[in-house]
Amino acid sequence: MMNTTQFEARTAQDRFGTMIAARLSEGSADLPYDITERLRAARMQALARRKVEQTQSQAATFLASAGGSATLVFGREPGGNWSRWTSALSLFALVAGLFVISAMQDDDVANEAAEVDAALLTDDLPPAAYTDPGFLQYLRSAPASQP
Amino acid sequence: MATEQELSDFLKSVERRAYKRSLYHVRDDEAALDIVQDSMMRLAEHYGDKPVTELPMLFQRILSNCTLDWFRRQKTRKALFSNLNDFEADTDDGEFDLLETFPGATPPEETESAETQTQRRETLAMIEAQIQELPARQREAFLMRYWEEMDVAETAAAMGCSEGSVKTHCSRAVQALSKALAAKGIRP
Repeated sequence: MMNTTQFEARTAQDRFGTMIAARLSEGSADLPYDITERLRAARMQALARRKVEQTQSQAATFLASAGGSATLVFGREPGGNWSRWTSALSLFALVAGLFVISAMQDDDVANEAAEVDAALLTDDLPPAAYTDPGFLQYLRSAPASQP
Repeated sequence: MATEQELSDFLKSVERRAYKRSLYHVRDDEAALDIVQDSMMRLAEHYGDKPVTELPMLFQRILSNCTLDWFRRQKTRKALFSNLNDFEADTDDGEFDLLETFPGATPPEETESAETQTQRRETLAMIEAQIQELPARQREAFLMRYWEEMDVAETAAAMGCSEGSVKTHCSRAVQALSKALAAKGIRP
């Protein structure tokens, strides 16, 4: 337990320390102008850096939430790998869809052409066809070419 | 979470003391300003989202670390060893009675004449010189404890040592300062 002398010494020590600190505060109050300006500039720079960080994080959030433009945040946000995989998957789905659509359209065109050809071949020959010189030429050459 | 205004007010309230504290350690204006700027930026960048109440402790730790980093970066062998040796704990255990040298309460404020102002400036310069002469750990503990008005536990946490060490450092710092100032006939 602290005895009276120790307590008094501690109190005196604290008072001494407080008085020295008061003197130091007086001294720090009238720093040269250039020093105070440098400190002010340093403070502004620190605050500006904090602001930039906030703006960046907000922008990243905005872009990430704007579904279709996910590719804009490549490598810029913490969850970059997830976005990269999602975007790659979307791109793959888009290309695969285009191939499927293209193949289906080719099939449709081929089917339509086949239907027209089949209709022409199975229909009765119109009489006007015999007046067509090209058709007569075909009739003359056709037996020769057949085995 | 601290708003930008709160962070600005906090930095404004500590920047001058931080500069002087760094200056006592490194004894170079430019280096002290760099340390304070670095500390401010680290605080704003990494801890700008912390509550205002946590900022003082964080800043003290950052300032101490930045000061230590500065010493580490010093190229010359002489600068490195002469300054880092100050951080070693001193081991002299000489008995000292503070009450023998401490004169007691200050007299009431007198009207300040030009002579008084000059005297105050000289006193301040001598006090600052004596503070610079203290070993680094003692100076750090003394300034945190009395100038930054941190309690023993907070000072110990900021310095990364025990509360007992803080008390010892403070006690020795006060003894050294009071002895030195008394020898020059200076009363704080």
